[in-house]
Amino acid sequence: MLVEQRLIDQAREGDSGAFNQLVTAYRKRILGTISRLIGRPEDVEDVAQEVFVRLYYSLDQLRTAEVFEPWLYRLTVNASYDYLRRIKRRNESRMADLSEHQVMMADSAAGGKRNTEDENKAKVREFMNALFQHVSEEDRILLTLKEVEGLSLKELEKIYRVNENALKVRLFRARQRVLKAYESAKANGNL
Amino acid sequence: MTGDNEGLNELLAQYRSACPDVEASVDFMPRLWEKIENTRSYPLIFQRLSRVLVTAFAAVCLLLGILNVMPSRAEAASRFASYIDALSADASVERAYTQEASRTTVDLPSEYLDQE
Repeated sequence: MLVEQRLIDQAREGDSGAFNQLVTAYRKRILGTISRLIGRPEDVEDVAQEVFVRLYYSLDQLRTAEVFEPWLYRLTVNASYDYLRRIKRRNESRMADLSEHQVMMADSAAGGKRNTEDENKAKVREFMNALFQHVSEEDRILLTLKEVEGLSLKELEKIYRVNENALKVRLFRARQRVLKAYESAKANGNL
Repeated sequence: MTGDNEGLNELLAQYRSACPDVEASVDFMPRLWEKIENTRSYPLIFQRLSRVLVTAFAAVCLLLGILNVMPSRAEAASRFASYIDALSADASVERAYTQEASRTTVDLPSEYLDQE
């Protein structure tokens, strides 16, 4: 736990100073998690703010301070899931909705400098996002939490409130689908 | 298959490092509090609006109730008129019919008239 339980209790009682400290302590971790869950750096801060707004209004529903972290993760997962659903619905091809790679290409064509390392990272993100298209948004998030964030099944159990076996089955199926997409991408020479 | 599994694991690890650690902007906290305040003000607006609407509906209901209870002028006249008034009103109508009948002359055909 990054903060003392007392601070969580104070924030639950409506102490805005304690809430500020709570946000400051968890901000970096939540921003990192969201960045990996949604794969769009430009929208990470907005989603993080949504998480903390939800946290502010749901703190009184928290039973004990001990379950604070899984609770916060749950809010993060829900906000990321809502975001991913929202962008899926959006069909307009505006500049903000173009893939990062396309935006980078457009920038470089406009005379900007191209950073090779950044471009490679963008390609990896782009490719993983394409692979994640083969699973549902829920499975994408579950898989990312397990495989990229490195959360244990016990931690996932607390976040999702489902038993370990159900999670294992779901993870296995999601991974198989991503793996299949990975193999076909490899066979097509897209890798 | 195992090779692909490892390849995918490697790709996932690359993805982890490819997602940059996002630093919060300077105005993160002020914007957060702004959003919290905005979210808080929405229920207040609805609360006020619902209060106004409830009061307006109550006033309309009361007005309609009063109008419903208040008798109309004709109804009030008939309700408070005495039996004698009613009889005389009825008799005056009958008298009018009789007068009208006595005033009317009928032209009978010639065969019905006395021929002397």
